[in-house]
Amino acid sequence: MPTAMRSKGFIAIALLPALLLFLIFVIIPVFWSAYYGFFSWKGFGEATFIGLDNYKEMFKDPIFWRALRNNLILVVSSIIGQVPIALVLAIVLFKNSLFSRFIRSAVFMPMVLSTVVVGLIWGYIYHPQFGIANHVLEMLGLESWTRAWLSDPKVNMLAISIPINWANVGPYLVIFIAALQNISPEIHDAAKIDGSSGWNKLRNITLPMIWSTVVVTIVLCISGSLKAFDHVIVMTGGGPAQSTELLATYMYNSTFSVYRYGYGSAVSTMIMIVSAILIAINYFATRRKSS
Amino acid sequence: MRPGRKIGLVLLAMSLLLAACGGGKSSEKAGESTNGSEKVKLTIWHNFAGDDLRAKAVRSYIDQFAQDHPEVTLDAQAIPPDGYRQRLSTVAAANEMPDVFFVYAGSQSSELHQAKLLQPITEVLDAHPEWKEKFLPGAFDPFEFEEGQIYSAPLGMSATSILYYNKALFEKHNVKVPTTWDEMMTAIKTFNDNGITPIALGNKAPWVAQSTILGSLADRVTGTEWFKNAAAQQGAKFTDPEFIEALGYFKQLVDNKAFQEGANSIDNTQAEQYFIQGNAAMMISGAWTLTNLAASSTEEQMKDIEVTTLPAIPGGKGEANTISGGAGGGLALSSRTEGKAKELALELIYTVSGPEAQKSIAESNSMVMYDAEIDQSKVTSLYYKAYNLVKSTGITPVYDAYLSAEAAEVINNGLQEIMMGGSVEDVAKKLQDAQARSATP
Repeated sequence: MPTAMRSKGFIAIALLPALLLFLIFVIIPVFWSAYYGFFSWKGFGEATFIGLDNYKEMFKDPIFWRALRNNLILVVSSIIGQVPIALVLAIVLFKNSLFSRFIRSAVFMPMVLSTVVVGLIWGYIYHPQFGIANHVLEMLGLESWTRAWLSDPKVNMLAISIPINWANVGPYLVIFIAALQNISPEIHDAAKIDGSSGWNKLRNITLPMIWSTVVVTIVLCISGSLKAFDHVIVMTGGGPAQSTELLATYMYNSTFSVYRYGYGSAVSTMIMIVSAILIAINYFATRRKSS
Repeated sequence: MRPGRKIGLVLLAMSLLLAACGGGKSSEKAGESTNGSEKVKLTIWHNFAGDDLRAKAVRSYIDQFAQDHPEVTLDAQAIPPDGYRQRLSTVAAANEMPDVFFVYAGSQSSELHQAKLLQPITEVLDAHPEWKEKFLPGAFDPFEFEEGQIYSAPLGMSATSILYYNKALFEKHNVKVPTTWDEMMTAIKTFNDNGITPIALGNKAPWVAQSTILGSLADRVTGTEWFKNAAAQQGAKFTDPEFIEALGYFKQLVDNKAFQEGANSIDNTQAEQYFIQGNAAMMISGAWTLTNLAASSTEEQMKDIEVTTLPAIPGGKGEANTISGGAGGGLALSSRTEGKAKELALELIYTVSGPEAQKSIAESNSMVMYDAEIDQSKVTSLYYKAYNLVKSTGITPVYDAYLSAEAAEVINNGLQEIMMGGSVEDVAKKLQDAQARSATP
């Protein structure tokens, strides 16, 4: 017991520096920003207290709802895009051969690239005149499908979600491979003896064994998509006419382009609340499943 | 016990490291205060970060100042233009302005002035009358926040709506260079029929269409006075029929497919390249295009390019043959800089925006608000044409220099909306609401 107590003390002391940094740079600013959300403030000069007016304005602003909708599009696209693709790739590339190691690195590659580079590359791919996307479609005889992918408000959110998914599959692949390696070989042997293989084995043995990992990746998808910012800022800046605005770019633009720090702070507080709600939903959904 | 001891060791090592760091810092500070008691620290922030001639010219004058003043520890920060406004407003929010910093003419500098973050530089201008007098008329207008008190000397001139055209393409398709709106429409139709983009536009950063096209176009329809009244929200509103008409002309360009497809998702530089490679017959852009083209294209490509003003609008209240523009940004002085540091900061401003610097900037193919004798052989032929054009035309206001930051954002996005098929009346109403909000605090 005394050793446990002493190591608890050590743990506390060892955690202290990290905790302090976290407190100063994350927790306190969050509350500060929530506080500024009740003010009308230009970033410099006088700030005037206006109560909940920023929030009222936000709920009335169609751009806020559009940004929220775009974020939800990203959440859905990453859950139905990244997770299954990463899972399939993990199962296919599970063996440690040279080939699968090469493909694994290739899939992980965009994760290592700076997001600005990813954004610029895809900006050129989607270029309305010289882009490869339109070029390939023309070669396939699909001229009628060519369009200005990032300008056309009907398709641009979809066009943006593709590079975001592409760039983020890597880490999920690694997580899934690690989970698959944790399944002990005896289970595979037992499955073979019982005559289970292929789809049947995947559905009844592999998936249930790594289900908790799948749930974690979904949580990561949700939080990652709500934070999405950099790819969009590089590719469209939230435009044209705010059609690809996300909550984070909306917050950024209202704070730093229009100089409404108070309103921007209110939006960032709202992002926290939305994330908390989604994660709570996820929490209750998975708890029901496990009980 | 073992892991416990290990953690203890790690902690010990960490605390030693921390102590070492702390020690380093404090000794540095001590050295500063004993040896360099006369050293004055000055910081300057500017956005001349690029590799273009103008940025290099400006930076060389900053370096010269540092060389001439060994008693100054000069901390010069070149911040790329894209992030410059944000960086400056971030330090403004924290009231940690550098001593000398580049400010844009218009809403940014006036907002900083209102927040009492600037102090006038009138004394250095008065100390060099031969310098002050050579500035072109109106050069100090955007920086004279109080009668007789000038807060910055412009380092450049923004001419934002020059009509660049490819003479070879006009001759090949037998099109007249448009001087009236009808001729413009004919030109657009002819080029479209021949598979050439009439006007190249890169409006991904949405200020482009507003700054280069709308300002000049609308001024021809409404006249300058109406715009200034509307911006001040005195006796004119953006929902007035003349502004709706002006936006209508822009919509007419969109509806006649004057711009290439996807203009809203490529940036201005890409549009310049598209134009210079002969894919488009015209481009409406600012003087910055001269600088960019000088840096990135050959004299061969540029020899076909000519410059003129936007065509006249039938029955418009504004003058034709004008270009939207005005004094560019300049260096400003922080209100917190005092004493010896202030003296040297003013000296720094004079070095970087004085007569020699103005001449060098003009000779780097970029417009100045200053009567400089330029060496013709040092500039590109296209710049020389534009320089003569701008000297012979009137200057009308650029929209976002007079609108509040929020209203500018609204009209920028509004033009993108019109390009996507949005309604002119809605955009006008949104602009009016935004400007009214900021004009009546």
